[in-house]
Amino acid sequence: MTDPTPTPLVQFRGVRKLYGSAIAVKSLDLDIGRGEFVALMGPSGCGKTTTLRMLAGLETPTAGSITIGGKLMNDVPAHQRDTPLVWQSLALFPFLSVVENVEFGLRMRGVAAGERRSRAMMWLERMGLQGFEARRIDQLSGGQRQRVALARSLVTEPEMLLLDEPLSALDAHLVIRMQGVLTKLQRELGITFVYVTHSHSEAFAMADRVVIMGHGEIEQIGAPREIFRTPRSRFVAEFVGRNNIIAGVVAGGILSSEHGAFPIAAPDGSAEIVVAADTVTVLRAPPEAGPAVKVAFLSEEFAGTGIICYFEAADGSEFKAQVTEEQLADLQPEPGAAFWLSWDPARVHVMGG
Amino acid sequence: MRRAGDLLGAIYLVALFVFVFAPIAASVVFSFNSDRFPTLPLGSFTTDWYARAFSRPELWEAIANSLLVAAVTSVLATFIGFATAYTDFRYGFRFKQAYLALALLPPTMPLVIMGLAMLAWLSQLGLSGTLRGIIIAHTVLATPFAMAICRLRLSQMDTTLEAAAWNLGAGQWGAMRHVILPFCAPAIVSSLCLTAAVSFDEFIVAWFVSGLNRTVPVMILEILQGNVDPQINAIGSVVFLTSMTLVVLAQLMIFRRRRHD
Repeated sequence: MTDPTPTPLVQFRGVRKLYGSAIAVKSLDLDIGRGEFVALMGPSGCGKTTTLRMLAGLETPTAGSITIGGKLMNDVPAHQRDTPLVWQSLALFPFLSVVENVEFGLRMRGVAAGERRSRAMMWLERMGLQGFEARRIDQLSGGQRQRVALARSLVTEPEMLLLDEPLSALDAHLVIRMQGVLTKLQRELGITFVYVTHSHSEAFAMADRVVIMGHGEIEQIGAPREIFRTPRSRFVAEFVGRNNIIAGVVAGGILSSEHGAFPIAAPDGSAEIVVAADTVTVLRAPPEAGPAVKVAFLSEEFAGTGIICYFEAADGSEFKAQVTEEQLADLQPEPGAAFWLSWDPARVHVMGG
Repeated sequence: MRRAGDLLGAIYLVALFVFVFAPIAASVVFSFNSDRFPTLPLGSFTTDWYARAFSRPELWEAIANSLLVAAVTSVLATFIGFATAYTDFRYGFRFKQAYLALALLPPTMPLVIMGLAMLAWLSQLGLSGTLRGIIIAHTVLATPFAMAICRLRLSQMDTTLEAAAWNLGAGQWGAMRHVILPFCAPAIVSSLCLTAAVSFDEFIVAWFVSGLNRTVPVMILEILQGNVDPQINAIGSVVFLTSMTLVVLAQLMIFRRRRHD
């Protein structure tokens, strides 16, 4: 499922989108395979939503081509495509009941009343919403609305589902549950999911491939782990977060930076290295061997998998280290207290390499 | 202190309503009073003035005219008002502010000026003195109200709803029919009622352009010019009741949709 098939379902070729003179998407080349779960991720204004809207036919590319299933789609209007979208606002119709909402796509395609009702009911059941069909939308909880929106999009049995930050309005505990629902659904249906989000946790938890976008361009495409461990640029490393970036000059296998000199396996010249927060060791005294940066403690943050501690180096730049609760209890950091950060040189990633 | 303020406010409100509604209430009371002139103490209760007023064939003719004009005006004004509100909602274009200002302009013009202008214009078109002429004039007057109501409703709509309909296979007209119009239905009914009331009540412009095809308010004036007679109170009470019913219906639709959203 992770391998893009030889004939991708979707192909973007040199796609460009301008709004007046403002560039939303600069130049996009991207293949999306059948049955793939792709996350488009980036900060707001990076062009990810515009890309998704072009796929749905809600925006027309200024230049370049978009094909779906080998067919050129540039000028195919939205209503003649089968690219249902789950909206950030969900966009459920408030004047229709739950089942009428789910039926909508079938009704627009001229499916007979009896058949569309039974297909809609089947999807409501699948989403665990049996018994809710006659309710009004405003009588549902956030999670239930989410599932109605999914059922409404999937009832036409499309080859591809587009999702535009669908979980951003939900409570944190519901987000995790819906992530499970979505991944399971995508596996079962075997259809392509294109998922736009600015949240790494969502993208990394669900997607087969993550596309990081910035300033209307693709910064990096890869499996979640690949992007997390080997970011190609400072932009990606910073966006993905929990990374320490050190810039300097390499000469003879030694990186000289403002924070000191560290052994590094990189060719001579200027370089940026990434030391992931979870590969950093926090020490009370300088280590006898290996790289070390002297820092002052700033604060800590509980983050699901551990605790992220924030430090400040002598030049004011920020360093992060992920520690366990036990380690934090041992360290007992006070703001301003001095620590040394060290890491295994073998786990350092050199960017641009 | 607070309670004293509340009490004063309440008294003020009651006084205001009494001031506004007293003449209307008096008119209704005297329409059932047997005395020829509106004096106190009242005479006996009678429906005689209603019987006399409604036995005039020309009143029935005027009522038929008024109802026809109000009905056609409400449909035309609501259609144009909705279309204007929708262009505002959907499209951005140059001079949009000017377009909107122009669309909302008619109620700000003095009615006498409007009536004179309409008379001149409609005579040129050979439409003065016809019901069509009154309908045109009333549509001009009522459309901004229709537009304001429809605009208010559209502003409450999640802008992605229409795109969601396209996304699910509805064309432009499909989205209009299955999403925009159902969403705006309460506003459209409300607008039909309100614009019908505007037309049914309207006197000045109708007086200028009506000619022999009189509407009810025009006829009231003509009776008034002849002799003051409680028949006017009777007709006036019916007009008031009709208009109030329409306005209340329009309000109910607005409140209903507020409660639901």
